[in-house]
Amino acid sequence: MNSSTSAASFTRRASMVLRSRPFLTFATVLLVWAVASVMRPGFGAFGHLRYLVELASVIGLVAAGQTFVVIAGGIDLSIAAIVTVSAVSLPLLSIDADPTGLTAILATLVMTTFIGLGNGLGVAYLRVHPMIMTLAMATFLQGLLIIIAGGSAISSQNPLVAWLGNARPAGIPAGVFVWLGVSALVLLIMHATPLGTRIYAIGANPLASRLSGVPLQATTTVVYAISGFTAGLAGVLLLGMNGQGYVGIGDPYLLASIAAVVLGGTSILGGLGTYAGTMPGALLLVTITALITVVNASAGWRSILFGSLVLILLLLSGREKVRR
Amino acid sequence: MATDAPYLAARGVSKSFFGNPVLRDVSIELYPGRIHALLGENGAGKSTLINLLSGAMPADRGTIEIDGNPVPRMSPAAAQAAGIAVVQQELSVTGSLSIAENIGLGSYPRRFGIIDYTELSARAGAAASLVGLHEPLSMPVGNLPLGRRQMVEIAKALYRKPRVLILDEPTSSLSASEARILTELLQKLKGEGVAILFISHRLPEVMALCQHVTILKDGVRTADRSIAGIDADGLVRLMVGRDPGDLFPHWTTARSRAKAIVIKGFSSGLIREADLEIKTGEVLGIGGLAGQGQEDLLLGLYGATPAETSAAEVNGNAGLPRSVSQANAMGIAYVPADRKREGLHISHPIITNLLLPGFARAAALRLRNRIKEGEIAKGLAAHFAIKGDLDRPAQALSGGNQQKVALAKWMPHQPQVLLLNDPTRGVDVETKREIYIMLRQFASDGKAVVLLSSDTPELVHLCDRVVVIREGRIVSELQRADLSEQAIVAAAVGAEPTVTAA
Repeated sequence: MNSSTSAASFTRRASMVLRSRPFLTFATVLLVWAVASVMRPGFGAFGHLRYLVELASVIGLVAAGQTFVVIAGGIDLSIAAIVTVSAVSLPLLSIDADPTGLTAILATLVMTTFIGLGNGLGVAYLRVHPMIMTLAMATFLQGLLIIIAGGSAISSQNPLVAWLGNARPAGIPAGVFVWLGVSALVLLIMHATPLGTRIYAIGANPLASRLSGVPLQATTTVVYAISGFTAGLAGVLLLGMNGQGYVGIGDPYLLASIAAVVLGGTSILGGLGTYAGTMPGALLLVTITALITVVNASAGWRSILFGSLVLILLLLSGREKVRR
Repeated sequence: MATDAPYLAARGVSKSFFGNPVLRDVSIELYPGRIHALLGENGAGKSTLINLLSGAMPADRGTIEIDGNPVPRMSPAAAQAAGIAVVQQELSVTGSLSIAENIGLGSYPRRFGIIDYTELSARAGAAASLVGLHEPLSMPVGNLPLGRRQMVEIAKALYRKPRVLILDEPTSSLSASEARILTELLQKLKGEGVAILFISHRLPEVMALCQHVTILKDGVRTADRSIAGIDADGLVRLMVGRDPGDLFPHWTTARSRAKAIVIKGFSSGLIREADLEIKTGEVLGIGGLAGQGQEDLLLGLYGATPAETSAAEVNGNAGLPRSVSQANAMGIAYVPADRKREGLHISHPIITNLLLPGFARAAALRLRNRIKEGEIAKGLAAHFAIKGDLDRPAQALSGGNQQKVALAKWMPHQPQVLLLNDPTRGVDVETKREIYIMLRQFASDGKAVVLLSSDTPELVHLCDRVVVIREGRIVSELQRADLSEQAIVAAAVGAEPTVTAA
């Protein structure tokens, strides 16, 4: 009796997992990989797939903060600028006293976290609309970057950054380890701490949250600070992979971060979703990019194809249900 | 005059919302050259009746007649064609448009397909001067104070040269001189043969202006008569007279001398200079017509809207809470009236709704204990008889059960003061009874319960004491022995109560 009810509950849970958005998105990724490897031998080679996951790790990191922000009912349009700030200012922060380069990385991350904090304070306390606040922040940062870096690329001499971008302990890129570590932390905060619950609550219904005693402004601020931190980390990784930072290096990651969040099933209206969906969402995005590269079209057509495919995938995976 | 067919009439109309009957078999006839009053308590069905008459919603049963002819499909367009104009209680003016544009909205004069602004300002100007609006017609309505916007709304109705004019509480936001202009205007329109339906809670005004009255109570017509030969007291009796039945528990007071909350010179929102003491172990009722500032009193005490006092004490702490978190820490909990918008996260599981106040005050990064959470939630659900799987979203619950969730979620934190904003609105009778029993139980457990209610019988039968608020001020305080629906409604509408020996 008892075993049959627990079996029934197991089947129910299993079917819930199988029908969940994170799982479906992940299944789509595997399906595309399988089909593409059959059509194009070489696509499915370990080295190629490893390369895709490595690329996805940067998107995944940027999208981690974006997932928090979107679940909390906002949006962060300054992400691309923060990635660039991180990748451009880190090489400038060469600190001779620290040969490992760790101090420079930490200083960069503190700085980008503070940029995010600025976004959060503007949204929460000055009540600037998130789009306006983060867009204004992005424009401000871009201006600052042009003054500091000008048009030239700046090479990084930081050994730890180079290691993060190029090392492959146990055959797996260091960046992927960073991504997995951050993902574990993000999922923990989201689903296993009161802070996570508060973030979902303010996204679903800010008024009811406030009347329930949820610290609305503090929670909003924290969310944007997290986004600044993860975007900064993504910038560090990107710098390591590229070897040099330049103005505009972060630009592709704005649309990518939002697309990964939404492809993963997180509601753009806030309150519902999970980073577990954003992760395969990021993988799906780099996979699409790789497929388009295979098609061998001009840069203009590649961009058009990419935009269209993202749109089609979103339409297929179910639009927002109309909310009451 | 009486031999003519009524311009507009409803015959035996009924209307339900989600299975709750709001109007039952109600008839009303609007004759030309007569000002007809429609009276009733909050929620008696007045606004619904207006919506049926103006075609804003269809009746479930019964017919609407124009000039004695039944209209099979009443619609706003049909109403407009028949010259029926409605001045809604909730303003429908658009702040960013000018006075003239608002007045003419929907029927702008056109020339070669574009709006003829010369013609518009001439016609809108005529309507505006009728109501004493002398502001420049090009001024955006958003720049006007509330009372003037109301006049724009009335001018908008007059612009269409109506045969039937329906006014839903038009004077509630008007100053005395604006109200006088309106009164004179209505007399004039009456002389011109317009049929007028006038809804107001101000009985002296109704007595002075109207010739005929229809009274609704719980969606049923209780009177349809000439206003001659009835006084304000008689009207109040017709509005409230009802049998409370055994919906309410029997109780004895548990009020102690200890004060849970003391405020002096308290102002918040509409509330001005209120002095109030709330004792532990009592249910304090807050009555009054809708929107007189009752909610501002609760929200101000809860730290959710800014409030000022000359002196305040809450559960032994000096001063009012400045935020909801502080209020919670001081032992105050608030249950909002609008469950879907303010009380619950309807897209989230019932269990997270039940536990949210706990999450709100827990250390941000301490790991959650799902097993313990499940036990707490199950305990609450059992105690409040919330049935079913707690992992379902809260929107799966009925209104009554949603209300129980909104109440239950505070219980793990042992609040000493419960501020309840219309906790039984839209709740079925059975759940109402359960909630009533709980409220009295809270009081006998030594909590202070503040019950804001639009349901007057609740105030009479559950409260140790009721304060009535009118226009932001506490105008009356009634002890249990003096409580009656008549006394509360009389205080709410500002009619002098006739003192009778109990």
